[in-house]
Amino acid sequence: MASVDIIGIRKLYGDVVALSDINISIASGAFYTLLGPSGCGKTTLLRTIAGFHEQNAGTIAVDGKAIEGLPAYRRDVGMVFQDYAIFPHISVRDNVAFGLKQRKIPRAEMEQRVAEVLDVVQLGQFADRMPHELSGGQQQRVGLARAIVIRPKVLLMDEPLSNLDARLRVDLRAELRRIQQELGITTIYVTHDQEEALAMSDTVCVMHQGVIQQAANPLDIYLHPANRFVATFVGANNFLAVTRQGDGLYLASAGGVVANGGLAADGRPLVCGVRPEVVRVVPGSVPPGDEEVAIPASLASVSFIGREMEVLVRTEADEVVKSFARPDPAVIALQPGSAVTLLVHRSDLAFFEDSETGRRAT
Amino acid sequence: MRIAGRRPDFWTVVTGVVLLVLAILLLIPILRVMLLSFVDADTGNWTLGNYVEVFTRNFYLRGLKNTLFVGVLGTIGACLVGIPLAFFTARFHLWGRVWISTLAILVLVAPPFIGAYAWIMMLGSNGFITNFFERFGIETPTIYGAHGIILVFTLKFFPFVFLMTQTALMAVNKSFEDAAENLGCTPWQRFTKITLPLVFPAISTGAIICFVLSIADFGTPAILGRGFRTLSTIAFAAYRSELGGLPTIAVTVSMIMIAISMLALVVQRRILARRRYASSLTNLPVKKRLAGWKNVAVHVFCHGAVLIAMLPNLVVVYTSFLKTNGPVFVGGFGLESYERMWRQAPMAVGNSFLFALSAVALITIFSALISYVIVRRETKASGSIDFLMMVPYLVPGVVMAIGFVTTFRTGVFGGIGAAWLLILLYFIRRLPYGVRSTTSSLRQVKPSMEEAAINLGAPPLSAFLKVTVPLILPGLIVGSLMSFITAINELSGTLIIYDSGTLTMPVSIYLAVLDGEFGLAAALSTVLLLCTGVCVYAVFRFSENRDSAFL
Ligand SMILES: Nc1ncnc2c1ncn2[C@@H]1O[C@H](COP(=O)(O)OP(=O)(O)OP(=O)(O)O)[C@@H](O)[C@H]1O
Ligand SMILES: [Mg+2]
Repeated sequence: MASVDIIGIRKLYGDVVALSDINISIASGAFYTLLGPSGCGKTTLLRTIAGFHEQNAGTIAVDGKAIEGLPAYRRDVGMVFQDYAIFPHISVRDNVAFGLKQRKIPRAEMEQRVAEVLDVVQLGQFADRMPHELSGGQQQRVGLARAIVIRPKVLLMDEPLSNLDARLRVDLRAELRRIQQELGITTIYVTHDQEEALAMSDTVCVMHQGVIQQAANPLDIYLHPANRFVATFVGANNFLAVTRQGDGLYLASAGGVVANGGLAADGRPLVCGVRPEVVRVVPGSVPPGDEEVAIPASLASVSFIGREMEVLVRTEADEVVKSFARPDPAVIALQPGSAVTLLVHRSDLAFFEDSETGRRAT
Repeated sequence: MRIAGRRPDFWTVVTGVVLLVLAILLLIPILRVMLLSFVDADTGNWTLGNYVEVFTRNFYLRGLKNTLFVGVLGTIGACLVGIPLAFFTARFHLWGRVWISTLAILVLVAPPFIGAYAWIMMLGSNGFITNFFERFGIETPTIYGAHGIILVFTLKFFPFVFLMTQTALMAVNKSFEDAAENLGCTPWQRFTKITLPLVFPAISTGAIICFVLSIADFGTPAILGRGFRTLSTIAFAAYRSELGGLPTIAVTVSMIMIAISMLALVVQRRILARRRYASSLTNLPVKKRLAGWKNVAVHVFCHGAVLIAMLPNLVVVYTSFLKTNGPVFVGGFGLESYERMWRQAPMAVGNSFLFALSAVALITIFSALISYVIVRRETKASGSIDFLMMVPYLVPGVVMAIGFVTTFRTGVFGGIGAAWLLILLYFIRRLPYGVRSTTSSLRQVKPSMEEAAINLGAPPLSAFLKVTVPLILPGLIVGSLMSFITAINELSGTLIIYDSGTLTMPVSIYLAVLDGEFGLAAALSTVLLLCTGVCVYAVFRFSENRDSAFL
């Protein structure tokens, strides 16, 4: 158990900036997830912490002690690899014992610890099998057991579930979280699956092009995205053009002020973000209720996918807006081209500066 | 917790050591040869005189012409046998296909000089085929001279073209050929316009290997030449006659041999650079069943080719069991040859094994380390090591040995004995076999394996020994076996370096052949063939793809 502080890490591959000025602080025992699209630098950051390559600038401290002077084999950070990296030439037991042997743990203690950890990952009866006699999910557990048996200060996991099928992924993710909490081990977890990140983490850190976009608890990430990139990457989002008249903000596609005061006062170009699940679609032309905005639109398509319906509409400003809602027979019966009204609660609108990573405006 | 600081890591040190060893054993001898070729033997001053001499005297020019002549014709011969053989085995159902490729591989790895003298026993002035036809008053063509050398080169080197072309043919997507047929090509047009161009890179690679090996070959022209001299016999003779002084003419001739090999390689690179055909293997080629006379003809050709090529080795084994009295065969069978070997050449047998095994021990260690550096580290240094691994293929044995002698018998290294020189010579010349096989094995091991070991607390060397080495073991074993075969059969370089205490089997065979002691030569050759055969069997056991393990 240890806290981790990452200060000002920068990593270049030739001219490519893989990480720029990464600052992270992780509390002891926390489950910290790095989330981001492919190529955003998640693996690079993890490998920098593990010591597989050197950063160009910055320090990494575990429990307040800088570790960048230590070679990878003395860092005491356990790692679970995306491809498991189970040694194919030795048994499950020997795989798990590998790190203990390196640490010259006495034989009796070693056997006991291996047996214990194999029980934790529910592989007790597989101890004498060779790795090729295990399924993917079982190999994944061996990888985990091998990393935690050495009781590392920090546990690193690089997309440990990405090679498994969907069902198993959901099962294992709950189990990973359970084991992590039982052991109370500080964990840094990499994924590009947002559902996984939201479901497992204490803190989610969204990265993009080597830069941290936002680090917060899952609920905040979802409900209060710090910028337009986070709002787009985590969950789905619609973006509507915004116009400004006097000291009021208006949607390009609807009448009525949507915001005024401070937000409208400075001259930054803004866009309005609306989550699909807060957009209500009703047939015909309907006046807005209190605190509601009504956007007239025409229906583009409706697909009924069981639990919900997915509706695509086109606004008068020619924006395509998506809505997820409870299946409504009246809407499903509509022909494409029919007039509909979108109803959105004013408090569900979020405003961002108009660029890929534009900040949230309040 | 101790802070390690920024000391160089293990693999940086290994890279440094490897570069140092390669510099001392490879670069310095070659540079030494190069420099010496610009030195005046009498005055010790810089001069271009050696090159002027070599390029104006008819003796050397004829040697150059002869070398190119037998090299080119031997290569063409090898292609004429190897390409059809590859095509037949890859595209038709043949009875005994495994047998054919096994024989081809045995021919490939058998000691090169055995071919030459076995043909003398068959077709030489007192050969048994010659004598057989003489009884009927028919005169057989003599084996001595250029055509004999070309015959031996053809039969010795065609397996390279055969195996490489066969591998390529098996990988040609059948859809290309189907498309050609669909567009109206006759089978022959389809072969020349589609299939042949597609496998051309493989053919050219095989052909270049044949050419480079025939340029470097010493044993064959030395035994069969009879006045027909090639650059390697000239360099050897010049070295012998210059003993005591500076071997300037020998090294100048050597430089020309290196230049020819390099030129050949450059030409081949140019050819390959413009032709890269990636092909996805969705549609594997199928084999056709032949019938009637075509079937018979193809079988006769394929089995005939490998049997004739194997013939010298069979003759040698047969001869070794003939009854002899001194150098004379007296009719009937007996073990006199082996008895003489036991009496006269026990040291040669012992030395051969001692030197080859010592060299292979070094090769095994170094190929494991070098392949790791080449595959896992992307530095300039590892790039240059990769490049340097090609150099030993290009430098003929005679040349490398002259470089060794002129470098290590003088100055700082003065005290090194012939035994060590031979071990180091075998080491550096055969190292690429080990490295190549180990490298291809390591490329299939995921880097995360070693990283996992390091992450679990294993220092680099320990991670390498406990995880990497067990995973590349098959490749390492195959590589070591290959370098053992080629090391124990080394003749040309050994002839330059050996002294009375360091005779080896190939040298004893060579000397016995020159003395007309064919029985003794045959017994020694049989021992060599036996070792070779055992190693080939072991390679078959350890390698995934038995044919390509030998290329
Ligand atoms: N060895 C390397 N040499 C050069 N560039 C590299 C190297 N490794 C990664 N990069 C680059 O650095 C950037 C970050 O790569 P990284 O592997 O950290 O991404 P990632 O977030 O893990 O992506 P993924 O989700 O696809 O695994 C990418 O642009 C990548 O192309
Ligand atoms: Mg990654």
